[in-house]
Amino acid sequence: MSKPNMPIILETQNLTHVFPDGTVAIKDINLQIHAGEFVIVAGANGSGKTVLLRHLNGLIRPTKGKVLLEGEPISKNIIAARKQIGLIFQDSDSQIVGQTVAEDVAFGPENLRLPPEEVNRRVKTYLEVVGLSKLAQQSPHVLSGGEKRKLAVAGVLAMQPKIIMFDEPFTGLDYPGVVQVLRQLVSLHQSGHTIILVTHELEKVLAHADRLIIIYRGKIVEDGTPEEIIGRSEQYGVRMPLGENERVDAMTWLK
Amino acid sequence: MAQIVLFHYFPRNSILHKMDGRVKLICMILFSVAISLVQSIPSFIILTASLILITLLAARLPLITLLKDMKYFSFLILIILLVNSFVIPGRPIPGFPLPGVTVEGVMTGLIASWRLVLIIMVCAVMTGTTSLITLKNVVEWYLRPIPLVPETRIATMINLTFVFIPVIFDTVSEMLSAQKARCVEGRRNPLKRIMFIAFPLLVQTFRRTEELILAMEARCYSDDRTRAVFATTAKDWLILAFTVLFLAFILFYSF
Repeated sequence: MSKPNMPIILETQNLTHVFPDGTVAIKDINLQIHAGEFVIVAGANGSGKTVLLRHLNGLIRPTKGKVLLEGEPISKNIIAARKQIGLIFQDSDSQIVGQTVAEDVAFGPENLRLPPEEVNRRVKTYLEVVGLSKLAQQSPHVLSGGEKRKLAVAGVLAMQPKIIMFDEPFTGLDYPGVVQVLRQLVSLHQSGHTIILVTHELEKVLAHADRLIIIYRGKIVEDGTPEEIIGRSEQYGVRMPLGENERVDAMTWLK
Repeated sequence: MAQIVLFHYFPRNSILHKMDGRVKLICMILFSVAISLVQSIPSFIILTASLILITLLAARLPLITLLKDMKYFSFLILIILLVNSFVIPGRPIPGFPLPGVTVEGVMTGLIASWRLVLIIMVCAVMTGTTSLITLKNVVEWYLRPIPLVPETRIATMINLTFVFIPVIFDTVSEMLSAQKARCVEGRRNPLKRIMFIAFPLLVQTFRRTEELILAMEARCYSDDRTRAVFATTAKDWLILAFTVLFLAFILFYSF
């Protein structure tokens, strides 16, 4: 399932971030992500997962080290990097900027100064992709948790990124909501996107991932296929999501 | 708040709904200026009648429902009436028990209140027939030629304010419920109860704002964005010409 034969799309070199109070959030993270990979970054609360994610599209600048997108440091052209690396935040409510569902999806393309016809085309296309076309003129405020997360996905997809990062996408979702988001994730991966997903709820998504990375106290402590690593996850505060003799791919929540 | 419909947008298929927002705003301003300038009662009656016709026929808005919401302005109207009645010098009302109330004062107060109600109606017609997105775009368009005014940023601020209002109301309602569940009613001091809401609300709002800023940055926000496209038709120019002629006629008769 791993994609080592694909080119490296995203790379970090000695990535370190120290907060002003001296807390080391992440330390010497060296990571290579191949195009088309589905990577899960897991770790307990406060392990540095979100900080790492926010470095990858330049929302946080590192204290030391760098992030390379297709071999080029993202700091060279941060806007171009953010266009290629979409990020879906944990709290969907906080990332909604539009008064209607369609307007929210248009926000990214408008930031890229695309012609109005292209903006409208993308809004229509990606609302269809996530299945929210019928709610285009609704206020995002009235959507369900799962629909809000789909809206966030559409908003990011409309910028046509190569890499899509999800920060705890299952938080606060009920079972149908989790299935909706999971189906979206799998379909994005199948359509060729590189997926980086931060979570500590491995049981919901591990069956579909190529690679599992575990972060513990700001450092990468495990990196490999889910089958290789899963037996050791609990020592880093991440619950082992299956019984001893079960297979990882049998864990899927999708029927 | 949700019950007030006075300044809400009503999606309809009326002449005013289809009108170019920029021309509509000029017509609205012209109407408001005319209402502020007219003096004679017949002119007021003509303006009121035309506004009723516009609301019902040209905008297809629920006039009675809008008028019912005027109750929220009743306190302001009462103050205008009282202040004018006592302050404007003139003949006392024969047989009126309160000394100091003059016929001229009451008349001026009534006209000022009438003026206020008409201006509120004009605003209600504007907001009732123009979506917030269009209003925001119109404001941005008019601010564009003014030097040193960051029109896109102002428009984004207007937009975000409207996005955040329902979120803040929801947060307050949730905080109130959570505090009621912990018997906040037992506290007699209303100031303390306000503080219990105000502080967490402020913290929550700042946290949300920070997340929103990050989410906007992640979607490449910049002031240099795709601009809205407006289309002015012959019908728009005709409506503007008719409005100018009509109001000029009323003002001419009024003086």
